[in-house]
Amino acid sequence: MSLTTESRSDQAGREMNLVTAVNATLRQEMQRDESVRLMGYDIGPIGGVYRATQGLLEEFGEERVIDTPLSENGILGTAVGMAMRDCRIVPEIQFMGFFYPAFGQFMYTLVKMYERSGGNLEVPMTVRMPYSGGIKSSEYHSESTETYLVHTPGVRVVVPSTPYETKGLLAASIRSDDPVFFLEPKKIYREGKEPVPEEEYTLPLDEARYVRRGEDVTVYTYGAMTRHAKAAADSVDADVEIVDLRTLSPLDVETILESVKKTGRAVVLHEARRTLGMGAEVSALINEYALDRLKAPVKRATGFDVHFPGHQTEHAYLPDEQRATDAIQAVMDYEF
Amino acid sequence: MSQWQEQRPSEEFYRVLDPDGNVVGEVPDVDEETLTRMYRTMVTSREFDEKALRMQRRGEVSIVARATGEEAVSCGSAAALEEGDWCFPSYRQTPAALYWGADMARAVAGMMGAEPETVDEHLPVEEEPPVSFTPVYVPLAVNVTNAVGSAMVDRFRDNDAVTMSYIGDGSTSQGDFHEALNFAGVFDAPAVTVCQNNQWAISVPAHRQTAAETFAQKAVAHGVPYDRVDGNDVLAVYAKAKEHCERARNGEGAGYIEAVTYRMVEHNTADEESVYRDADEREYWEDKDPIDRLETFLLRTGVLEEGDPERIREEVRDEIQDAVDEAREVPVSDPETMFEHHLHEESGGSWAQEHQRQELRAERNGENPFTDFTGEGLE
Ligand SMILES: Cc1ncc(C[n+]2csc(CCOP(=O)(O)OP(=O)(O)O)c2C)c(N)n1
Repeated sequence: MSLTTESRSDQAGREMNLVTAVNATLRQEMQRDESVRLMGYDIGPIGGVYRATQGLLEEFGEERVIDTPLSENGILGTAVGMAMRDCRIVPEIQFMGFFYPAFGQFMYTLVKMYERSGGNLEVPMTVRMPYSGGIKSSEYHSESTETYLVHTPGVRVVVPSTPYETKGLLAASIRSDDPVFFLEPKKIYREGKEPVPEEEYTLPLDEARYVRRGEDVTVYTYGAMTRHAKAAADSVDADVEIVDLRTLSPLDVETILESVKKTGRAVVLHEARRTLGMGAEVSALINEYALDRLKAPVKRATGFDVHFPGHQTEHAYLPDEQRATDAIQAVMDYEF
Repeated sequence: MSQWQEQRPSEEFYRVLDPDGNVVGEVPDVDEETLTRMYRTMVTSREFDEKALRMQRRGEVSIVARATGEEAVSCGSAAALEEGDWCFPSYRQTPAALYWGADMARAVAGMMGAEPETVDEHLPVEEEPPVSFTPVYVPLAVNVTNAVGSAMVDRFRDNDAVTMSYIGDGSTSQGDFHEALNFAGVFDAPAVTVCQNNQWAISVPAHRQTAAETFAQKAVAHGVPYDRVDGNDVLAVYAKAKEHCERARNGEGAGYIEAVTYRMVEHNTADEESVYRDADEREYWEDKDPIDRLETFLLRTGVLEEGDPERIREEVRDEIQDAVDEAREVPVSDPETMFEHHLHEESGGSWAQEHQRQELRAERNGENPFTDFTGEGLE
């Protein structure tokens, strides 16, 4: 069963944007559980380059907010060792594009420790990484290479798309006994606030969410692209259902299939490259298990198979409301 | 606690000019022309940084990492290179590139976000600089490993060229740095690595990167000869870089230099240094300004005359303005350039790329790019 969160505007709580929700949740979880520690560079006095950890060093001290040397592989590797010794570590990788030096520890230890110890060693940790584009930054600051993570067993991959979702998913990630990659869509860190409940709550780490219900076509999306899906849904002449995947790994296949079996048409919208992106997986699942319900082929509105371009051209790379609208329109107009 | 306590680095290092420009060591053998070129390069870099900052504030460029206060490190070391050598910079070595005649208009166009293909088309390279520069590396420490590979080729081919690369103090914490120095040591690679120790890696101070007394010591374990120099003294940097380059050129293997300096400004224009460090400390370092120091020396020794510094400053400002004007003439990149230079097309193209290029074109023509349902393409 999937949770429907059509709109949180009815929600009581404190107004937060996505990055303040990250901050509030980290504080809440650190207060709740002494074994939660943060680590990363620049997370101390300056509170991270996006200020996600602002104020936490003052509140919790240097041994719980650990400003480290500049080494992604060092951070991930020591975090694994700490997690094996009953700490809940929340490492920050400053940008997803700088995760690659840590790929060794990721593949060799993090994702495999639980399995190779026959379930005897747990590595609970939540790796936070700002990711994705649209901020006109320099090389490697706009990567959406979540496929590398999703392709790997032994790790959960979570992407929030609103402040409310951020709090519930981040709290659940930190409490999870699995390693979780928590990808923060930095483009919408400060785009829009909504009331977020002060009290603790968690959201499931294996369920997609219906952003809105519709009968004609399903748009599967996540992260910063969710807002383009909504705008496109308002501009096309079709009754659009939007599914926010939320947890890219494991995927909520039941919800994916449930929705397309009802609408018969599907578009996957993401800003990662198309080849072997989430769209490839969602589309393959639909092909395998819901082919006879389809009224049109599945289309993928995505970034292109290129290195993320420079800031003069990134707008042409990134999917937007128009690209989403075109894809929806194309599958609506198609007839077998 | 809200701020890091800064620890001033020890002054146990090689120095030729003291902060007042007095000679306290052996002046290296450099002719007047080289001295003036160093001075001019450092002034150009400082003015270039100021111009870039103003452009950033106006939204013409997205992000700027300045070399302010650190000019002597990359200028002095790069000046020790010779024709045919290679240089692998990160993002804070503008003076190295300027010293060897980097085209400013091309640099500005790049900062303005133009794709390399656009820059090449509209501002073609007139003349290759005598020292080859790679594109600036953004991911930290990977340049050093590549530089050692480049140097290994020269060793295997018996060339007498040297490859120089740069790393920040913070980036010496990366595995790549150690792997690079290890290879350099094992293969006697003619690679000279310069650690630009400006005391900070964004908000993290040098003493949080290493428990070693100096960054110079990091070479010990790799068996690579090293020196520690006053990085605000361009003559000291030059002298030691020259020694290491000569040794490498003579087949005696790699070298490593820690140059002690200070980042006098924010890390980059997205940073807010007041959150993590004291403004006072900057005054201490302003007294050690590398440009003032060299200027005093050059005026005292008669290499520069009264009025020359102002004249040079005016000249370089004009040069920079010309470069900016030229860069502004470069048209905004055609989005289709994003498909260029992934694979060599003559050895077989990619269906996906060709198809996606068509999609982008359709989208830009206001057509629907999703109408191919047969795989035969849109055109
Ligand atoms: C692999 C990698 N991780 C993180 C970053 C983000 N980043 C850019 S500059 C910087 C600090 C570098 O400090 P340092 O090496 O001391 O050089 P400085 O900027 O002080 O010259 C960081 C963390 C990056 N570019 N590459």
